[in-house]
Amino acid sequence: MQVQTHVDIHSEWGIVAARQAGRKLAREIGFGSVDQARITTAISELARNIYLYANKGQIQIEEVTSSGKRGVKIIAVDEGPGIKDLRRVMEDGFTTSGGLGAGLPGVKRLMDDFNIDSELDAGTSITAIKWLR
Amino acid sequence: MEETKISMYQLYKDMLTSYLANKSEHALYHAQQFSKEMMEKDMSPEETVSLHLSVFQELAEDLPEEVVDSFDILLEVMIGYGLAYREHQSLRDRQQQLESELTVAARMQKSLLPHGEISLDSVDLGVISVPAGKMSGDYYDYALDEHGNIGVAVADVIGKGVPAAMSMSMIKYAMDTLPEQRTQPGALLENLNRVVERNIDSDMFITMMYGFYDPNNHYFHYASAGHEPGFVYDAVKDEFRNLEAKGLVLGVSPKVRYFPDQLHLDAGDFIVLLSDGVTECRVDGEFIEREQLVDMIRKYKHLTAQEIVDEIFQELEKAQEFQLRDDFTLLILRRKV
Amino acid sequence: MNLDINVTETDKGHVAFISGEVDVYTASKLKETLNPLAEKPNSDLVVDLSDVNYIDSTGLGIFIGVLKSTEKTNSTLKLKGLNERVKRLFEITGLNEVIDIEVDEREEA
Repeated sequence: MQVQTHVDIHSEWGIVAARQAGRKLAREIGFGSVDQARITTAISELARNIYLYANKGQIQIEEVTSSGKRGVKIIAVDEGPGIKDLRRVMEDGFTTSGGLGAGLPGVKRLMDDFNIDSELDAGTSITAIKWLR
Repeated sequence: MEETKISMYQLYKDMLTSYLANKSEHALYHAQQFSKEMMEKDMSPEETVSLHLSVFQELAEDLPEEVVDSFDILLEVMIGYGLAYREHQSLRDRQQQLESELTVAARMQKSLLPHGEISLDSVDLGVISVPAGKMSGDYYDYALDEHGNIGVAVADVIGKGVPAAMSMSMIKYAMDTLPEQRTQPGALLENLNRVVERNIDSDMFITMMYGFYDPNNHYFHYASAGHEPGFVYDAVKDEFRNLEAKGLVLGVSPKVRYFPDQLHLDAGDFIVLLSDGVTECRVDGEFIEREQLVDMIRKYKHLTAQEIVDEIFQELEKAQEFQLRDDFTLLILRRKV
Repeated sequence: MNLDINVTETDKGHVAFISGEVDVYTASKLKETLNPLAEKPNSDLVVDLSDVNYIDSTGLGIFIGVLKSTEKTNSTLKLKGLNERVKRLFEITGLNEVIDIEVDEREEA
């Protein structure tokens, strides 16, 4: 049975709760302290994006396995305004220059797999996985 | 990767052991060298912090719990620095890519300008054109027709860099479609103006001076579209005069007339065409005056046309500490016989 | 480099008093201020340059853009208070033939 956690994000408390859940799972799977910190930073950034731009959304955290590897999967879903130009938000220097932290390129760097889907006026869904080496 | 980690661990351990034993500057110097190696191996700040803690835990047994825990905070903070560092690297890569793209574009742009030497018995021609950045908003041309007429042009697009360069290529292409007007400076500018007016941003414009020298009657015919006045040197009187003609800059209004003017050149007389990058050179914070430029030309006038423009450029470049503020173009055409 | 722009309303439009240098650094500020004024239909825009000692080619471009806007909206553009250096620039570029430039009273006297 795989562990799965849902955390609703509508305040900064939610961000902390999501971090906690992510760190706990990462530690259980066997990630070292550096990767634990990376995973929680990624969760923070995704949760903050929901909090700042979509007001409400959810972070799901679960264990994944693939060809014998174990990993942590983060899914961030919101029903916010959506992202108009995905290419731009994935560009280095676009969000960070406005002082918004690591931004999505940062999340992509912290994790191993990264996928984003967004529809205008419907919402955004981001999936990111970190594999245990 | 695993191997590097192990060897890094060992190196770090040796370094830290040596430092803890004798606190030597030598060990610290070693650490400084080591940091370069870490960056080469793409090791992030958070990995370094983690490496330090694990080595330290091995060397000093029974570290107080607070010391170990305090590293959690340091690690978390370092993640942010690590991300910024990676972003910096990726932006640097992208900058290099843009640089090389610009280099290719600049080479293409250079191929738009004439580069063959014109060596004639009738005239001595020299030109230098140097962009402030990689690409130039200045345009120049010289061409010889079948009757021996030598056409010369200098044009200046406002602004500089890529946008100016794109407009500059428009002048080149338009000029190529108007070979029969090379001996009609007024009509040539009128046609160019129509092309520019249709294809340029509302707050951009181009200035241009075009003229041709007819070696059969020794007349220089020219017209100007709001361009920085050039100079004419009268060898007999040893005097410089302004070379100017009335006319609106290109790109403002679709229907503009340009009225050509003409002057007779005696042997040794010469024409100087320039872009405002020459007169906007600042020496000691002050724009050079046109009189100063005349003095410089006079100083070198015994040289060939190409040597004169080269010398003047070198002198002005040096006076500005090798920082050109604007694209610089200077052209001289001298009647030899 | 700084540029100050002071706009006052008149019966039939606006007067913009500019002081400083109009160059590549300040041109966009000038454009943002003058263009909306020029786009008002049937109005007169007067730009007072008495306190401007230097305009570069980018700055000239802004005035051309403003002129084109006024032509579209049946408005007028007039410049006044040009010093010798600035006036010379408008003469070289031929822009004095297409832009209404008020002759300085001091010179006439």
